[in-house]
Order: sequence, then structure tokens, then C-alpha cells
Amino acid sequence: MSKKRMSLFVLAILVLSLVLAACGGTAEKKVCAVLDTGGENDKSFNEFTLKGAREAADKAGLEFAHIVSESDADYEKNINNFVDEGCGLIITVGFLMGDTTKAAAIANPDVNFAIVDVDYWPGFGCDEGVDSCYSEEGGLSNVTSLMFAEDEVGYLAGTLAGCMSETAVIGTVSGMEIPPVVKFVVGYQNGAKAQNPSIEALNVYIPDFNDPTTGKQAGETQIGQGADVIFGVGGNTGNGGLLAAHEAGLMAIGVDVDQYNTYPEVQASLMTSAAKNMDVATGDAVTAYANDTLEAGIQLATVANGGVGLASYHDWDSKVPAECKAAVDAAAAGLTDGSISTGYAP
Amino acid sequence: MASSTPNEVESKSFRERILRPLAVPLLAVFTSLVIGALIIVFTAENPAIGLDKLGKGYWGMFEGAFLKRNGILNTLVVTSPLILTGLAVAIPFHAGLFNIGAEGQFIMGAFTAVLAGIYLDLPPVIHPIVVMLAGFAGGALWGLIPGLLRAYLGAHEVINTIMMNFIAFALVSFAVRGPFLDPNTSSVQTYPIQKTAELVRISGRFHIGIFVTLLVASVVYYFLYKTTWGFSLRTTGHNPNAAKYAGIRPRQQFVLSLVLAGGLAGLAGSLEVQGLTHVVTTGIRAGYGFDAIGVSLLALNNPLAIIPAAFIFGALNIGGDFLQIRAGLSVHIVSILQAFILLFVAAPSIVRYLYRLKVSGGVAEGAPVTRGWGG
Repeated sequence: MSKKRMSLFVLAILVLSLVLAACGGTAEKKVCAVLDTGGENDKSFNEFTLKGAREAADKAGLEFAHIVSESDADYEKNINNFVDEGCGLIITVGFLMGDTTKAAAIANPDVNFAIVDVDYWPGFGCDEGVDSCYSEEGGLSNVTSLMFAEDEVGYLAGTLAGCMSETAVIGTVSGMEIPPVVKFVVGYQNGAKAQNPSIEALNVYIPDFNDPTTGKQAGETQIGQGADVIFGVGGNTGNGGLLAAHEAGLMAIGVDVDQYNTYPEVQASLMTSAAKNMDVATGDAVTAYANDTLEAGIQLATVANGGVGLASYHDWDSKVPAECKAAVDAAAAGLTDGSISTGYAP
Repeated sequence: MASSTPNEVESKSFRERILRPLAVPLLAVFTSLVIGALIIVFTAENPAIGLDKLGKGYWGMFEGAFLKRNGILNTLVVTSPLILTGLAVAIPFHAGLFNIGAEGQFIMGAFTAVLAGIYLDLPPVIHPIVVMLAGFAGGALWGLIPGLLRAYLGAHEVINTIMMNFIAFALVSFAVRGPFLDPNTSSVQTYPIQKTAELVRISGRFHIGIFVTLLVASVVYYFLYKTTWGFSLRTTGHNPNAAKYAGIRPRQQFVLSLVLAGGLAGLAGSLEVQGLTHVVTTGIRAGYGFDAIGVSLLALNNPLAIIPAAFIFGALNIGGDFLQIRAGLSVHIVSILQAFILLFVAAPSIVRYLYRLKVSGGVAEGAPVTRGWGG
């Protein structure tokens, strides 16, 4: 091909593509997701939120789009772009987007917003005086918070830990003392005590989610005090605790997602993970939106609706005795039918 | 290649003065877009889907950067810091130094600006100006240190400006999480600056910072090409020994150029805080300081050419979001485009070969490429 033909060919591609683009129609309802800087493949919040939202949108025949934020200065721009694009439901992910999502929801009352793992209460996110933030007077009547019953899945993890522990001492290496972390810890401790009333539950809160060194030291301290199961509840800090258990040849329990995939270094010691199933929670929200049944307010993902649960036992499937599996299943059934309470009171 | 094409007539035409120098950068941008298009088409599941994505993505990019509501304004909003950080790379280039530290200088500027915005109580009009000066000072300090190290100890500025970036990241990250953390919000951020320190927003995110930027760019041009100081600085860049014989002190020029550069990057950070964020977050690393190297290169280090070059990068930056929004393509395609643009600008003979361009008479106005290690 001569140079001239080549350039004509390229030009033709460009023109053709513009024509094709102009023909594209737009669906009536559109679902859009603004991911945090972790991106599409973080094996955690962003990845599973995207997966759940996209699959549910495809299933319902809705148009779907997403964008990864490059920095936390981009949230506002990305949300506004989606508002301009005519998105009817905008899904945002995580604590850091809380303020921006709130501001966008107030500025765009005709657009629905769903935010993963952030809730607003009077004095935090809306006016002090209102009964509920998710109302006309609270200003967030178009916002759905997708929350997780951390205490329930923590309770299941605790049941397992209480059953597996030989020393009757278990530990948690926790991040900042904020509600989701506290819920995990309380549920875990109560689950273990329900399984074995004489169990001793150690815990430390480390006010940083990204301090694996301190986390590991805390884990080693707890192991020194006899703990043989460590539950890491605090991002990278918690991972330090998992690593401590792994290096001591003991048992570890991961958090938020199936950490068998996200933290392969400790696979051999990881019994399971106390997982929040973001894909289920966001998928349900998208389906509700498609059916016009999406409601403002807090949608709690529980053991009963499959929004939280223990991940697979993976390598430990053969090592966890049947009685412990049965205890976990019984606890899950109890949480589902309401006969068991996790003992967490906000 | 024929290296000498004597200028036919001394009075250069418009074509000669304006179009010739523009040819390579513009064709570089165009060629990159074509390569990007090929990448998009050939990485898709099949060519039909690829063409569809290409059309939606490129049209979205164009619409997003220029046509849609606030599109052009959003582009101008990111153009502004790119101009200033671009200048922060270009000025040391003229003195023969390579400033990789614009990112750190930007961050320090943003940080000192936030402090001045929070803790000083001043009337409107005066407060924003004081905050800008604070931002300039913060950035300038971050330029001064590698400048002094380069001038008096011979420590290479590339290493030191990079290291200063890391110090800035860590310092600001510490300050934002620790002493200046605003507990009343869900993000990790400082307290907001006072209302009196904010820059007026005209529409959407578009604030008046760009006018400050354009004014500063003109001053820098005047400084570099119309003043003795600028002449000394450029002479140092061309040949420090010759400069010395001419009575110029190269050391002073090294320090001056990096201080000025740091100050401009710091000003960019300050404007960003005053006009957009009003706070500093741990996510302050916007990457402007690194894109700036590309901007400066695309502009051949000419302070006025930096304005359109920054505009092109800004448009790619803003439009690039729509590759993902409209076509589900990765936003990183834009990084590939930018990288190809730089490749073609840095190796202009590729572009000249592709488009059969003649070598133009004098690109002599461009700054010297920096000398090697220890030069």
C-alpha cells in the first residue's frame, strides 16, 4: 500500500467511526459508577462494586458507564460529568466520596445516588435538627446508602475462631475505631464467646489503616499472650496482624473481601475472610432502580440477604472440622431468623 | 539529512515565523491520535466493536473537552496549572537545568497557601493575593534547596528535585493526617481556607486563576527575552563558561532559575487550592508537575508556546475521561497519547520523515537540551 492509500485508509476509519458514533441511541435509564482511585482491579470495594453494578445493569437492559478517579480531587468532576451524561443512578464508592456525593445529591435532586459503605446521620452529613437525613428536610431524599452488617459477619468469624482456637485466646488487629471496625470486633468477640464462654478476646485499635508494621507488632504481642487466631480488621494494618499469625504458623481471618485473593502471601494460614459482598449490594440497588423500587435511606446488607458472609475456606476446607462448620452454619441460620443477636449496640 | 536550508529572504513571512515551528508539534499530536485510534481498534474484541468504541471515545473526548456544558471551561481549569508548572520546567531548562520537582513544588505551594488561607485574617482582594504569595514562597523554598545544592555543592538537580518531591509528599501527607486534619468531614483533608481567600468562580469549576496564570506567563516571557536578567539566565544555559567570562555568575543563575520555577509551581498549587479544592487532601498529587515536563517539551520551552501546549494537554486530560465514560476504554489511553506526542516532539525527524517536512532554518530559539551528568 502506498503512503497515500495508507493515509486515506486511516482517514476513512476516523470518519466512519464518527458516523457510527453519531448513530448511537441512548437508553432511558442509565446507571453510572464513579470508582475511587483504587481502580477497576483492586480486588476490593471498587472491583466488586463495578462488577455488581455492571452485571445488574446488563441484566436489566440498562446502559452502564463507569469512571476511575485519578485523584480525590476528581470526584466532583466525575460525578458532574455523569450528571451531564444523563445518568439516572450514580453509584459512588467509599468513605472519601461521602462529602462530594452529598453535595452532588443536594445539587441534583432528580438524580438517584447510591453510595457504598457511607451513611449520613443528623449532624454528620446533614442538619442537626432533622429526624432523618434521607428525607426532603434532611436534603438527601435521593440517596441510598449501601451499608453492611459487619457485626453479623464478624459474629460468624468469631464463631469459627472460638471453635478453632486451642488456646482459648483470640485476637483482633483493628484499624481506626470507627463504626464499621467496631462492629466487626464486637460481633467477632461475641460470636467467639457464644461458642466458648471462657474464651479470652484480645483487641487493639490502631488509628491508621495503612500501617502494617504496627499491625504486625500488635499481632505478635497478642500471639505472645497466647492468641492462636488473629482477625485483621483494618486494611493494611490488619494485614500486618494476618502476617504475624502466618509467620507464627497460626490461624488468620481476613476482612472485607476474600483475602485469599488479595493477600496471597498468607494463604496457607487464612481460614476464611469476613466478607462484605459489595457486588450483591450494588447489584440489588441497580435492580431496584431498574424496577423503580429503589428507596432512599440505608439498605443494610446482612447475612440473611447474602450481602455479608464468610468467604470460602479454600485451603482450610479440609482442616476445619465438620463441627466448626456446623457451628458457623448454625450461627448464620440464627442470625437469619433473628434468634441470635450479635450484641452490637451503636 | 540536509542540515542547512539558507533562508531565502531575511524578512520572514508569517508562514516562516509561525507555521514552521508549529508543524512538528501539531503533527505530533495528530499522529498520536492516529496511533491511539489504531490501538483502540486493534485491542477491541473485534474491529467492528473497536470502530464503535473509537467513534464514541474520540467524539466523547472532543465533546467533553470543548463542546459540552462547561467542557471548554473544565479544560481551561486544568490548563492553568499546566501552564505554570510547564513554566517551572521551562525556566530551569533555559538555565541548563532539568527540574523534575515541579510536582513537589506544586504540593508545597498548595500547602503553604492553605496555611495562609486558614490562619491569616485579611480583607477580601488582599487575602487572595497574600495566599498566592504564600504559595509562591512555599514552592520557591522547594526550588531553592536543590538550587543551592546544585550551585554550591554540585549535587545534580535531577536527583535532588526528585527527592524533594518525596519529601513534599510525605510532609504534606503527615500534616494533613495529623496536625491540620479537619475532623468534621469524611475525607482526610485540612480545614478549608477562609472565604476571603477563595478565588471567584465564574461558572461551574471555572475560576479566575487562569487570568493570573496568563499574566504571569507574559511576565515570564518578558523577563526571559527582554531583560538583562533573562539574558544572563539564557546565556548560562547555553554555555556557563562563556557566561562566566561575560561577567555572569552561573551559580546565581542556577539558584535563581530553580527558585523562580519552584515559585511558579507553588503558585499553581495555590491557585488550585483557592479556586477549586479550598483544602489540601492526601490526594493532592495531581500529576501536573510531571505532565509539565511534557508541556514544556511540546512547547520547545518557549514561555508563550507553553500556553497552547498546556491547553492541548489539558484538553486531552479532560476529554480523556470520556474515553471511559462513553466507550468504556481505559483513561490511560490518554497517557499513551501524551507519551507518543512527547516521543514525536523529542524525535522530530520521525515526524519530518512521515510527512516529508523540510528541516526549518532555525529552531535556535529553543532552549538547549540540558547537559549530561556533571556538565
